[in-house]
Amino acid sequence: MSSAYQLALQQLCDSALPTGAFAHSLGFETYIERGGVADEGSFGVWLSAFISQQLTYSDGLAIRFLYEDADVGELDEHLSAQLLPRQIREASTKMGARLLEIGTEVFPSAELEAYRALVTTGRAAGHQTLAFAVVARSLGVPFEEALAGYLFATVTSLTQNAVRAIPLGQNSGQRLLRKAHDDVAAAVEHVRRLGRDDFGAVSPGLEISQMRHEWQRARMFMS
Amino acid sequence: MSGAVLGESRAGISPGRVSSPPAASPDLGPCPLRGAHHAAAPKSGSAASSVVPPRGELSLRIAERAGRSVAVQQFHQGALRVLRPHYLDQSGQVCYVMVNPGGAYLGADLYVVDVEVEAGASLLLTTQSATKIYRTPGSFAEQRMSIRLGEGAQLELAPDQLIAYREASYRQDTHVTVRPTSSFVMAEVITPGWSPDGVSFKYRELRLRNEIQVEGDDGAVLLALDNLLIRPPLADVTGMGFMEGYSHLGSLVVVDPRVDQALADELNRLTAEYGAYSGLSLTRTLAGTTGMFLRSLSNSTEELNRLLGACTGLLRERWYGRAPLNLRKY
Repeated sequence: MSSAYQLALQQLCDSALPTGAFAHSLGFETYIERGGVADEGSFGVWLSAFISQQLTYSDGLAIRFLYEDADVGELDEHLSAQLLPRQIREASTKMGARLLEIGTEVFPSAELEAYRALVTTGRAAGHQTLAFAVVARSLGVPFEEALAGYLFATVTSLTQNAVRAIPLGQNSGQRLLRKAHDDVAAAVEHVRRLGRDDFGAVSPGLEISQMRHEWQRARMFMS
Repeated sequence: MSGAVLGESRAGISPGRVSSPPAASPDLGPCPLRGAHHAAAPKSGSAASSVVPPRGELSLRIAERAGRSVAVQQFHQGALRVLRPHYLDQSGQVCYVMVNPGGAYLGADLYVVDVEVEAGASLLLTTQSATKIYRTPGSFAEQRMSIRLGEGAQLELAPDQLIAYREASYRQDTHVTVRPTSSFVMAEVITPGWSPDGVSFKYRELRLRNEIQVEGDDGAVLLALDNLLIRPPLADVTGMGFMEGYSHLGSLVVVDPRVDQALADELNRLTAEYGAYSGLSLTRTLAGTTGMFLRSLSNSTEELNRLLGACTGLLRERWYGRAPLNLRKY
Protein backbone atom coordinates (compact mmCIF):
# COMPACT_ATOMS: atom_id res chain seq x y z
CA MET A 1 0.00 0.00 0.00
CA SER A 2 1.55 3.26 -1.08
CA SER A 3 -0.30 5.55 1.27
CA ALA A 4 -2.49 5.22 4.29
CA TYR A 5 -5.35 7.13 2.65
CA GLN A 6 -5.52 5.02 -0.54
CA LEU A 7 -8.31 2.68 0.44
CA ALA A 8 -10.25 5.44 2.16
CA LEU A 9 -10.09 7.53 -1.01
CA GLN A 10 -11.25 4.57 -3.08
CA GLN A 11 -14.21 4.06 -0.77
CA LEU A 12 -15.05 7.76 -0.94
CA CYS A 13 -14.89 7.79 -4.74
CA ASP A 14 -16.65 4.49 -5.29
CA SER A 15 -19.80 4.90 -7.31
CA ALA A 16 -21.44 2.51 -4.83
CA LEU A 17 -21.10 5.16 -2.11
CA PRO A 18 -24.76 5.70 -1.26
CA THR A 19 -25.13 9.44 -1.86
CA GLY A 20 -27.89 9.05 -4.42
CA ALA A 21 -25.82 10.06 -7.44
CA PHE A 22 -27.76 7.54 -9.55
CA ALA A 23 -30.76 9.90 -9.39
CA HIS A 24 -29.07 12.89 -11.03
CA SER A 25 -28.20 13.67 -14.62
CA LEU A 26 -27.09 17.22 -13.72
CA GLY A 27 -28.65 18.44 -16.93
CA PHE A 28 -27.87 15.83 -19.57
CA GLU A 29 -31.43 14.48 -19.47
CA THR A 30 -32.55 17.75 -21.04
CA TYR A 31 -30.17 17.09 -23.94
CA ILE A 32 -31.53 13.56 -24.29
CA GLU A 33 -35.05 14.91 -24.49
CA ARG A 34 -34.08 17.45 -27.15
CA GLY A 35 -32.10 14.89 -29.13
CA GLY A 36 -28.71 16.55 -28.64
CA VAL A 37 -27.45 13.57 -26.67
CA ALA A 38 -28.43 10.30 -28.29
CA ASP A 39 -25.40 8.02 -28.44
CA GLU A 40 -21.90 7.41 -27.20
CA GLY A 41 -20.34 10.19 -29.26
CA SER A 42 -22.83 12.91 -28.37
CA PHE A 43 -22.81 12.00 -24.68
CA GLY A 44 -19.02 12.21 -24.84
CA VAL A 45 -19.27 15.76 -26.15
CA TRP A 46 -21.62 16.73 -23.32
CA LEU A 47 -19.45 14.99 -20.71
CA SER A 48 -16.39 16.79 -21.95
CA ALA A 49 -18.17 20.17 -21.73
CA PHE A 50 -19.46 19.30 -18.27
CA ILE A 51 -15.96 18.44 -17.04
CA SER A 52 -14.35 21.56 -18.50
CA GLN A 53 -17.14 23.86 -17.28
CA GLN A 54 -19.20 22.78 -14.27
CA LEU A 55 -16.65 20.45 -12.72
CA THR A 56 -13.79 22.87 -13.30
CA TYR A 57 -15.22 26.30 -12.49
CA SER A 58 -17.57 25.23 -9.71
CA ASP A 59 -16.75 21.91 -8.02
CA GLY A 60 -13.03 21.87 -8.78
CA LEU A 61 -12.37 25.40 -7.65
CA ALA A 62 -14.42 24.88 -4.48
CA ILE A 63 -12.25 21.89 -3.60
CA ARG A 64 -9.09 23.87 -4.28
CA PHE A 65 -10.20 26.83 -2.17
CA LEU A 66 -11.02 24.49 0.69
CA TYR A 67 -7.56 22.94 0.44
CA GLU A 68 -6.14 26.47 0.50
CA ASP A 69 -7.75 27.06 3.87
CA ALA A 70 -10.74 29.09 2.77
CA ASP A 71 -13.47 29.20 5.35
CA VAL A 72 -15.86 26.31 4.73
CA GLY A 73 -18.90 28.38 5.76
CA GLU A 74 -18.00 31.11 3.30
CA LEU A 75 -17.39 28.59 0.52
CA ASP A 76 -20.72 26.97 1.28
CA GLU A 77 -22.45 30.36 0.94
CA HIS A 78 -20.65 31.01 -2.36
CA LEU A 79 -21.67 27.62 -3.76
CA SER A 80 -25.30 28.15 -2.78
CA ALA A 81 -25.18 31.54 -4.51
CA GLN A 82 -23.38 30.29 -7.58
CA LEU A 83 -25.44 27.19 -8.36
CA LEU A 84 -28.20 29.15 -10.08
CA PRO A 85 -30.23 26.20 -11.43
CA ARG A 86 -32.37 25.13 -8.47
CA GLN A 87 -32.17 21.40 -9.19
CA ILE A 88 -28.39 21.49 -9.31
CA ARG A 89 -28.26 23.33 -5.99
CA GLU A 90 -30.64 20.83 -4.47
CA ALA A 91 -28.75 17.87 -5.92
CA SER A 92 -25.60 19.25 -4.33
CA THR A 93 -27.10 19.61 -0.87
CA LYS A 94 -29.07 16.38 -1.05
CA MET A 95 -25.96 14.37 -1.87
CA GLY A 96 -24.04 16.57 0.56
CA ALA A 97 -26.32 15.61 3.43
CA ARG A 98 -25.74 11.92 2.69
CA LEU A 99 -22.00 12.38 2.45
CA LEU A 100 -21.88 14.31 5.72
CA GLU A 101 -23.78 11.47 7.35
CA ILE A 102 -21.61 8.71 5.89
CA GLY A 103 -18.43 10.67 6.53
CA THR A 104 -19.34 11.22 10.15
CA GLU A 105 -19.76 7.47 10.64
CA VAL A 106 -16.78 6.16 8.77
CA PHE A 107 -14.25 9.02 8.47
CA PRO A 108 -14.95 11.26 11.47
CA SER A 109 -12.79 14.31 12.01
CA ALA A 110 -13.01 17.62 13.83
CA GLU A 111 -13.21 19.48 10.52
CA LEU A 112 -16.10 17.38 9.28
CA GLU A 113 -17.88 17.75 12.60
CA ALA A 114 -17.45 21.52 12.38
CA TYR A 115 -18.95 21.63 8.88
CA ARG A 116 -21.78 19.34 9.90
CA ALA A 117 -22.53 21.58 12.88
CA LEU A 118 -22.86 24.57 10.54
CA VAL A 119 -25.31 22.60 8.45
CA THR A 120 -27.41 21.24 11.31
CA THR A 121 -27.74 24.72 12.80
CA GLY A 122 -28.85 26.19 9.48
CA ARG A 123 -25.70 28.26 8.94
CA ALA A 124 -24.60 26.27 5.90
CA ALA A 125 -26.41 24.31 3.20
CA GLY A 126 -24.02 21.35 3.15
CA HIS A 127 -22.71 20.83 -0.38
CA GLN A 128 -21.45 17.46 -1.55
CA THR A 129 -18.29 18.96 -3.04
CA LEU A 130 -17.28 20.56 0.23
CA ALA A 131 -18.20 17.53 2.32
CA PHE A 132 -15.96 15.47 0.04
CA ALA A 133 -13.11 17.95 0.23
CA VAL A 134 -13.32 18.20 4.02
CA VAL A 135 -13.20 14.43 4.41
CA ALA A 136 -10.43 13.95 1.83
CA ARG A 137 -8.30 16.64 3.39
CA SER A 138 -8.82 15.27 6.89
CA LEU A 139 -7.61 11.89 5.61
CA GLY A 140 -4.43 13.46 4.35
CA VAL A 141 -5.24 12.99 0.66
CA PRO A 142 -3.10 15.41 -1.36
CA PHE A 143 -5.05 18.06 -3.26
CA GLU A 144 -4.52 16.81 -6.80
CA GLU A 145 -5.39 13.23 -5.92
CA ALA A 146 -8.51 14.36 -4.12
CA LEU A 147 -9.56 16.56 -7.02
CA ALA A 148 -8.91 13.93 -9.68
CA GLY A 149 -10.71 11.36 -7.53
CA TYR A 150 -13.75 13.58 -7.08
CA LEU A 151 -13.94 14.52 -10.74
CA PHE A 152 -13.62 10.95 -11.96
CA ALA A 153 -16.15 9.68 -9.40
CA THR A 154 -18.67 12.25 -10.69
CA VAL A 155 -17.87 11.34 -14.29
CA THR A 156 -18.35 7.66 -13.48
CA SER A 157 -21.77 8.20 -11.91
CA LEU A 158 -22.91 10.37 -14.80
CA THR A 159 -21.69 7.83 -17.34
CA GLN A 160 -23.45 4.97 -15.53
CA ASN A 161 -26.61 7.07 -15.53
CA ALA A 162 -26.22 7.75 -19.25
CA VAL A 163 -25.72 4.04 -19.95
CA ARG A 164 -29.11 3.41 -18.35
CA ALA A 165 -30.89 6.45 -19.75
CA ILE A 166 -29.83 6.73 -23.40
CA PRO A 167 -29.28 3.68 -23.26
CA LEU A 168 -25.71 2.71 -24.14
CA GLY A 169 -23.89 -0.61 -23.99
CA GLN A 170 -21.64 -1.34 -21.03
CA ASN A 171 -18.55 -1.25 -23.27
CA SER A 172 -19.59 2.18 -24.55
CA GLY A 173 -19.63 3.33 -20.96
CA GLN A 174 -16.11 2.02 -20.41
CA ARG A 175 -14.82 3.68 -23.59
CA LEU A 176 -16.37 6.97 -22.45
CA LEU A 177 -14.69 6.68 -19.07
CA ARG A 178 -11.34 5.95 -20.65
CA LYS A 179 -11.69 8.98 -22.88
CA ALA A 180 -12.65 11.10 -19.87
CA HIS A 181 -9.23 10.46 -18.30
CA ASP A 182 -7.73 13.18 -20.48
CA ASP A 183 -10.50 15.65 -19.73
CA VAL A 184 -10.16 15.03 -16.00
CA ALA A 185 -6.39 15.48 -16.17
CA ALA A 186 -6.86 18.73 -18.11
CA ALA A 187 -9.43 19.91 -15.58
CA VAL A 188 -7.06 19.26 -12.66
CA GLU A 189 -4.41 21.32 -14.42
CA HIS A 190 -6.92 24.05 -15.27
CA VAL A 191 -8.25 24.30 -11.72
CA ARG A 192 -4.74 24.95 -10.46
CA ARG A 193 -4.40 27.98 -12.74
CA LEU A 194 -7.76 29.65 -12.16
CA GLY A 195 -8.35 32.61 -9.89
CA ARG A 196 -10.97 33.66 -7.42
CA ASP A 197 -12.93 35.59 -10.03
CA ASP A 198 -13.31 32.48 -12.15
CA PHE A 199 -15.38 30.70 -9.53
CA GLY A 200 -18.77 29.73 -10.89
CA ALA A 201 -18.18 30.67 -14.52
CA VAL A 202 -20.29 27.84 -15.90
CA SER A 203 -21.36 28.09 -19.56
CA PRO A 204 -24.85 29.40 -20.38
CA GLY A 205 -25.74 26.29 -22.38
CA LEU A 206 -25.19 23.91 -19.46
CA GLU A 207 -27.05 26.18 -17.07
CA ILE A 208 -30.02 26.59 -19.38
CA SER A 209 -30.33 22.83 -19.81
CA GLN A 210 -30.17 22.38 -16.05
CA MET A 211 -32.87 25.00 -15.57
CA ARG A 212 -35.13 23.59 -18.28
CA HIS A 213 -35.09 20.21 -16.58
CA GLU A 214 -37.42 21.67 -13.94
CA TRP A 215 -40.19 21.81 -16.53
CA GLN A 216 -39.42 18.64 -18.42
CA ARG A 217 -42.43 16.33 -18.45
CA ALA A 218 -41.12 12.78 -18.45
CA ARG A 219 -37.95 12.45 -16.45
CA MET A 220 -35.90 9.63 -15.00
CA PHE A 221 -33.70 11.93 -12.95
CA MET A 222 -34.19 14.53 -10.23
CA SER A 223 -31.82 16.92 -11.97
CA MET B 1 -17.63 58.67 -1.92
CA SER B 2 -15.72 61.53 -3.38
CA GLY B 3 -18.63 62.76 -5.47
CA ALA B 4 -19.50 66.42 -5.59
CA VAL B 5 -23.08 67.16 -4.66
CA LEU B 6 -24.83 68.80 -7.55
CA GLY B 7 -28.32 69.71 -8.52
CA GLU B 8 -30.14 67.09 -10.55
CA SER B 9 -29.26 67.01 -14.22
CA ARG B 10 -26.29 69.31 -13.94
CA ALA B 11 -22.91 68.30 -15.16
CA GLY B 12 -20.17 67.75 -12.62
CA ILE B 13 -16.84 69.47 -12.69
CA SER B 14 -13.91 67.12 -12.53
CA PRO B 15 -12.23 67.31 -9.18
CA GLY B 16 -8.61 66.28 -8.92
CA ARG B 17 -8.05 62.67 -8.09
CA VAL B 18 -5.44 61.09 -5.97
CA SER B 19 -4.51 57.58 -6.93
CA SER B 20 -3.16 55.07 -4.50
CA PRO B 21 -0.49 52.57 -5.48
CA PRO B 22 -1.43 49.83 -7.89
CA ALA B 23 -3.13 46.81 -6.43
CA ALA B 24 -1.07 43.68 -6.58
CA SER B 25 -1.25 42.06 -9.91
CA PRO B 26 -3.31 40.11 -12.38
CA ASP B 27 -5.57 37.19 -12.53
CA LEU B 28 -4.15 34.31 -10.70
CA GLY B 29 -4.42 35.26 -7.10
CA PRO B 30 -2.84 32.47 -5.13
CA CYS B 31 -4.89 33.05 -2.02
CA PRO B 32 -8.21 31.30 -1.98
CA LEU B 33 -10.95 33.81 -1.40
CA ARG B 34 -9.28 36.95 -2.57
CA GLY B 35 -8.54 37.13 -6.26
CA ALA B 36 -6.46 40.11 -7.21
CA HIS B 37 -9.15 41.55 -9.41
CA HIS B 38 -11.48 41.74 -6.49
CA ALA B 39 -8.90 42.86 -4.09
CA ALA B 40 -8.57 45.80 -6.44
CA ALA B 41 -12.27 46.47 -6.49
CA PRO B 42 -13.52 47.63 -3.13
CA LYS B 43 -17.23 47.21 -2.52
CA SER B 44 -17.94 50.88 -2.89
CA GLY B 45 -17.03 50.65 -6.56
CA SER B 46 -14.48 53.37 -6.12
CA ALA B 47 -11.40 53.13 -8.24
CA ALA B 48 -9.10 54.38 -5.57
CA SER B 49 -6.75 51.45 -6.00
CA SER B 50 -6.28 51.87 -9.73
CA VAL B 51 -3.05 53.05 -11.19
CA VAL B 52 -4.74 55.63 -13.35
CA PRO B 53 -7.91 57.55 -12.73
CA PRO B 54 -11.00 56.02 -14.26
CA ARG B 55 -11.77 57.03 -17.80
CA GLY B 56 -15.32 57.64 -16.76
CA GLU B 57 -17.01 57.86 -13.44
CA LEU B 58 -20.62 58.28 -12.51
CA SER B 59 -22.39 58.31 -9.23
CA LEU B 60 -26.05 58.79 -8.70
CA ARG B 61 -28.17 58.77 -5.57
CA ILE B 62 -31.94 58.71 -5.95
CA ALA B 63 -34.41 59.47 -3.19
CA GLU B 64 -38.14 59.83 -2.95
CA ARG B 65 -39.40 63.40 -2.53
CA ALA B 66 -43.14 64.08 -2.36
CA GLY B 67 -44.09 61.06 -4.45
CA ARG B 68 -41.42 61.52 -7.08
CA SER B 69 -37.99 60.01 -7.30
CA VAL B 70 -35.23 62.56 -7.80
CA ALA B 71 -31.45 62.61 -7.78
CA VAL B 72 -30.21 63.97 -4.48
CA GLN B 73 -26.61 63.46 -5.42
CA GLN B 74 -25.05 63.27 -8.81
CA PHE B 75 -21.48 63.26 -9.90
CA HIS B 76 -19.72 62.44 -13.07
CA GLN B 77 -16.32 62.77 -14.52
CA GLY B 78 -14.55 61.91 -17.74
CA ALA B 79 -16.25 59.84 -20.37
CA LEU B 80 -19.49 59.06 -18.58
CA ARG B 81 -22.50 61.22 -17.93
CA VAL B 82 -26.27 61.06 -17.75
CA LEU B 83 -28.87 62.88 -19.79
CA ARG B 84 -31.53 65.02 -18.14
CA PRO B 85 -33.84 62.79 -16.15
CA HIS B 86 -37.34 62.14 -17.35
CA TYR B 87 -40.50 60.49 -16.15
CA LEU B 88 -42.08 57.91 -18.43
CA ASP B 89 -45.36 57.75 -16.56
CA GLN B 90 -47.16 59.03 -13.50
CA SER B 91 -45.65 56.46 -11.13
CA GLY B 92 -42.89 58.76 -9.90
CA GLN B 93 -40.15 56.50 -11.25
CA VAL B 94 -37.29 58.55 -12.61
CA CYS B 95 -35.45 57.47 -15.74
CA TYR B 96 -31.80 58.27 -16.32
CA VAL B 97 -29.93 57.54 -19.52
CA MET B 98 -26.20 56.89 -19.24
CA VAL B 99 -24.08 58.26 -22.02
CA ASN B 100 -20.54 57.45 -22.99
CA PRO B 101 -19.64 60.41 -25.20
CA GLY B 102 -16.56 58.62 -26.48
CA GLY B 103 -18.86 55.92 -27.77
CA ALA B 104 -16.60 53.00 -26.97
CA TYR B 105 -14.48 51.22 -24.40
CA LEU B 106 -10.82 50.84 -25.24
CA GLY B 107 -7.86 49.05 -23.66
CA ALA B 108 -7.19 49.81 -19.99
CA ASP B 109 -10.30 51.97 -19.79
CA LEU B 110 -11.91 51.81 -16.40
CA TYR B 111 -15.47 52.96 -15.86
CA VAL B 112 -16.86 53.24 -12.38
CA VAL B 113 -20.56 53.54 -11.74
CA ASP B 114 -22.07 53.92 -8.32
CA VAL B 115 -25.83 53.92 -7.90
CA GLU B 116 -27.85 54.18 -4.75
CA VAL B 117 -31.63 54.14 -4.61
CA GLU B 118 -32.86 55.14 -1.21
CA ALA B 119 -35.85 53.72 0.61
CA GLY B 120 -39.06 53.96 -1.37
CA ALA B 121 -37.48 55.52 -4.47
CA SER B 122 -37.56 54.12 -7.98
CA LEU B 123 -35.02 54.39 -10.78
CA LEU B 124 -34.94 53.18 -14.34
CA LEU B 125 -31.37 53.29 -15.60
CA THR B 126 -30.56 52.67 -19.21
CA THR B 127 -27.97 53.61 -21.81
CA GLN B 128 -28.12 55.76 -24.92
CA SER B 129 -26.57 53.17 -27.20
CA ALA B 130 -24.82 49.82 -27.27
CA THR B 131 -21.68 49.38 -25.20
CA LYS B 132 -18.93 48.79 -27.71
CA ILE B 133 -15.63 47.26 -26.73
CA TYR B 134 -12.89 47.83 -29.26
CA ARG B 135 -9.44 46.25 -29.44
CA THR B 136 -7.72 46.24 -26.07
CA PRO B 137 -4.19 45.10 -26.93
CA GLY B 138 -2.37 43.75 -23.91
CA SER B 139 -5.03 44.83 -21.46
CA PHE B 140 -8.78 44.98 -20.95
CA ALA B 141 -11.56 47.49 -20.61
CA GLU B 142 -13.43 47.34 -17.36
CA GLN B 143 -16.61 48.53 -15.76
CA ARG B 144 -17.16 48.35 -12.04
CA MET B 145 -20.64 48.99 -10.88
CA SER B 146 -21.86 49.24 -7.36
CA ILE B 147 -25.57 49.29 -6.63
CA ARG B 148 -27.28 49.75 -3.31
CA LEU B 149 -31.03 49.62 -2.83
CA GLY B 150 -32.84 50.72 0.31
CA GLU B 151 -36.02 49.29 1.81
CA GLY B 152 -38.79 49.26 -0.77
CA ALA B 153 -36.46 50.82 -3.36
CA GLN B 154 -36.71 49.80 -7.00
CA LEU B 155 -34.11 49.69 -9.72
CA GLU B 156 -34.62 48.60 -13.29
CA LEU B 157 -31.34 48.35 -15.11
CA ALA B 158 -31.83 48.06 -18.85
CA PRO B 159 -28.65 48.80 -20.78
CA ASP B 160 -28.37 48.37 -24.53
CA GLN B 161 -26.53 45.35 -25.81
CA LEU B 162 -22.85 44.73 -25.35
CA ILE B 163 -20.74 44.34 -28.48
CA ALA B 164 -17.16 43.15 -28.23
CA TYR B 165 -15.12 43.67 -31.37
CA ARG B 166 -12.13 41.75 -32.64
CA GLU B 167 -9.34 41.38 -30.04
CA ALA B 168 -11.39 42.99 -27.30
CA SER B 169 -11.22 42.00 -23.65
CA TYR B 170 -13.77 43.29 -21.21
CA ARG B 171 -14.61 42.83 -17.57
CA GLN B 172 -17.79 43.96 -15.96
CA ASP B 173 -18.12 43.60 -12.26
CA THR B 174 -21.41 44.46 -10.64
CA HIS B 175 -22.00 44.39 -6.91
CA VAL B 176 -25.59 44.71 -5.85
CA THR B 177 -26.77 45.08 -2.28
CA VAL B 178 -30.49 44.89 -1.65
CA ARG B 179 -32.64 45.03 1.43
CA PRO B 180 -35.27 42.29 1.88
CA THR B 181 -38.00 44.59 0.49
CA SER B 182 -36.02 46.06 -2.42
CA SER B 183 -36.85 45.28 -6.02
CA PHE B 184 -34.04 44.79 -8.52
CA VAL B 185 -34.45 43.98 -12.21
CA MET B 186 -31.59 43.79 -14.70
CA ALA B 187 -31.78 42.78 -18.34
CA GLU B 188 -28.72 42.41 -20.56
CA VAL B 189 -27.90 41.21 -24.06
CA ILE B 190 -24.46 40.14 -25.22
CA THR B 191 -23.78 39.84 -28.91
CA PRO B 192 -21.15 37.59 -30.50
CA GLY B 193 -19.19 40.66 -31.54
CA TRP B 194 -18.10 41.74 -34.92
CA SER B 195 -14.97 41.48 -37.01
CA PRO B 196 -14.05 42.78 -40.48
CA ASP B 197 -14.14 39.30 -42.00
CA GLY B 198 -17.67 38.77 -40.73
CA VAL B 199 -16.69 35.95 -38.38
CA SER B 200 -18.19 36.27 -34.92
CA PHE B 201 -16.63 35.47 -31.55
CA LYS B 202 -13.36 37.13 -32.50
CA TYR B 203 -13.00 38.93 -29.20
CA ARG B 204 -10.53 37.64 -26.65
CA GLU B 205 -12.46 37.59 -23.42
CA LEU B 206 -15.74 38.68 -21.90
CA ARG B 207 -16.11 38.43 -18.19
CA LEU B 208 -19.35 39.59 -16.62
CA ARG B 209 -19.80 39.00 -12.97
CA ASN B 210 -22.77 39.93 -10.79
CA GLU B 211 -22.71 39.51 -7.06
CA ILE B 212 -25.99 40.10 -5.31
CA GLN B 213 -26.22 40.21 -1.57
CA VAL B 214 -29.16 40.70 0.72
CA GLU B 215 -28.60 42.88 3.72
CA GLY B 216 -30.96 41.80 6.46
CA ASP B 217 -30.99 42.47 10.16
CA ASP B 218 -28.37 39.77 10.73
CA GLY B 219 -25.89 41.15 8.22
CA ALA B 220 -25.37 40.58 4.52
CA VAL B 221 -25.61 37.18 2.84
CA LEU B 222 -24.68 36.35 -0.73
CA LEU B 223 -27.86 35.52 -2.62
CA ALA B 224 -26.46 35.03 -6.09
CA LEU B 225 -23.14 34.86 -7.84
CA ASP B 226 -23.71 35.08 -11.56
CA ASN B 227 -20.49 34.64 -13.43
CA LEU B 228 -20.13 34.59 -17.18
CA LEU B 229 -16.80 33.97 -18.83
CA ILE B 230 -16.43 33.59 -22.58
CA ARG B 231 -12.95 33.15 -24.02
CA PRO B 232 -13.29 32.24 -27.68
CA PRO B 233 -9.55 31.78 -28.36
CA LEU B 234 -9.20 29.07 -25.72
CA ALA B 235 -11.90 26.66 -26.79
CA ASP B 236 -14.83 26.36 -29.12
CA VAL B 237 -17.58 28.27 -27.35
CA THR B 238 -20.19 27.88 -30.06
CA GLY B 239 -21.27 24.27 -29.66
CA MET B 240 -23.09 21.91 -27.32
CA GLY B 241 -22.62 22.67 -23.66
CA PHE B 242 -21.66 26.28 -24.29
CA MET B 243 -23.60 28.50 -26.71
CA GLU B 244 -25.52 25.53 -28.16
CA GLY B 245 -25.07 26.79 -31.71
CA TYR B 246 -26.56 30.21 -30.93
CA SER B 247 -24.76 33.51 -31.16
CA HIS B 248 -26.47 35.90 -28.70
CA LEU B 249 -27.01 35.64 -24.97
CA GLY B 250 -29.70 37.40 -23.02
CA SER B 251 -30.11 37.42 -19.29
CA LEU B 252 -32.63 38.70 -16.84
CA VAL B 253 -32.07 38.96 -13.11
CA VAL B 254 -34.91 39.74 -10.74
CA VAL B 255 -34.59 40.01 -6.98
CA ASP B 256 -37.79 40.86 -5.21
CA PRO B 257 -39.82 39.55 -2.27
CA ARG B 258 -42.67 38.89 -4.74
CA VAL B 259 -40.63 36.41 -6.77
CA ASP B 260 -42.01 32.90 -6.32
CA GLN B 261 -42.42 29.61 -8.19
CA ALA B 262 -45.76 30.66 -9.69
CA LEU B 263 -44.09 33.70 -11.25
CA ALA B 264 -41.23 31.53 -12.49
CA ASP B 265 -43.74 29.14 -14.10
CA GLU B 266 -45.53 32.04 -15.74
CA LEU B 267 -42.36 33.64 -17.13
CA ASN B 268 -41.16 30.24 -18.27
CA ARG B 269 -44.34 29.84 -20.34
CA LEU B 270 -43.87 33.34 -21.71
CA THR B 271 -40.31 32.69 -22.87
CA ALA B 272 -41.45 29.67 -24.89
CA GLU B 273 -43.20 32.04 -27.31
CA TYR B 274 -39.93 33.53 -28.54
CA GLY B 275 -37.24 32.35 -30.91
CA ALA B 276 -34.75 31.62 -28.18
CA TYR B 277 -33.52 28.71 -26.10
CA SER B 278 -34.26 29.77 -22.54
CA GLY B 279 -33.96 28.51 -19.02
CA LEU B 280 -35.08 30.04 -15.79
CA SER B 281 -34.68 29.21 -12.14
CA LEU B 282 -35.08 30.58 -8.63
CA THR B 283 -32.37 31.20 -6.09
CA ARG B 284 -32.91 30.25 -2.50
CA THR B 285 -34.96 32.61 -0.39
CA LEU B 286 -32.99 34.78 2.05
CA ALA B 287 -34.53 37.16 4.57
CA GLY B 288 -37.82 36.90 2.70
CA THR B 289 -36.55 37.79 -0.75
CA THR B 290 -35.81 35.55 -3.74
CA GLY B 291 -33.87 35.89 -6.95
CA MET B 292 -34.82 34.66 -10.39
CA PHE B 293 -32.39 34.15 -13.26
CA LEU B 294 -33.36 33.81 -16.88
CA ARG B 295 -30.82 32.95 -19.55
CA SER B 296 -31.67 32.91 -23.22
CA LEU B 297 -29.69 31.97 -26.28
CA SER B 298 -30.75 33.23 -29.68
CA ASN B 299 -29.40 34.46 -32.99
CA SER B 300 -30.72 37.97 -32.76
CA THR B 301 -30.47 40.96 -30.47
CA GLU B 302 -33.97 42.00 -31.47
CA GLU B 303 -35.51 38.68 -30.51
CA LEU B 304 -33.79 38.73 -27.13
CA ASN B 305 -34.87 42.32 -26.55
CA ARG B 306 -38.46 41.35 -27.34
CA LEU B 307 -38.27 38.38 -24.98
CA LEU B 308 -36.65 40.33 -22.14
CA GLY B 309 -39.05 43.21 -22.78
CA ALA B 310 -42.02 40.85 -22.49
CA CYS B 311 -40.72 39.56 -19.15
CA THR B 312 -39.96 42.98 -17.66
CA GLY B 313 -43.22 44.26 -19.15
CA LEU B 314 -45.11 41.58 -17.27
CA LEU B 315 -43.37 42.54 -14.02
CA ARG B 316 -43.93 46.28 -14.58
CA GLU B 317 -47.59 45.72 -15.25
CA ARG B 318 -48.13 43.19 -12.46
CA TRP B 319 -46.25 45.01 -9.72
CA TYR B 320 -46.70 48.68 -10.55
CA GLY B 321 -49.40 48.98 -13.21
CA ARG B 322 -46.79 50.51 -15.50
CA ALA B 323 -46.71 50.13 -19.26
CA PRO B 324 -43.96 48.02 -20.83
CA LEU B 325 -40.76 49.90 -21.57
CA ASN B 326 -40.41 51.48 -24.95
CA LEU B 327 -37.18 53.35 -24.53
CA ARG B 328 -36.41 53.80 -28.19
CA LYS B 329 -38.87 56.63 -28.51
CA TYR B 330 -36.85 58.82 -26.19
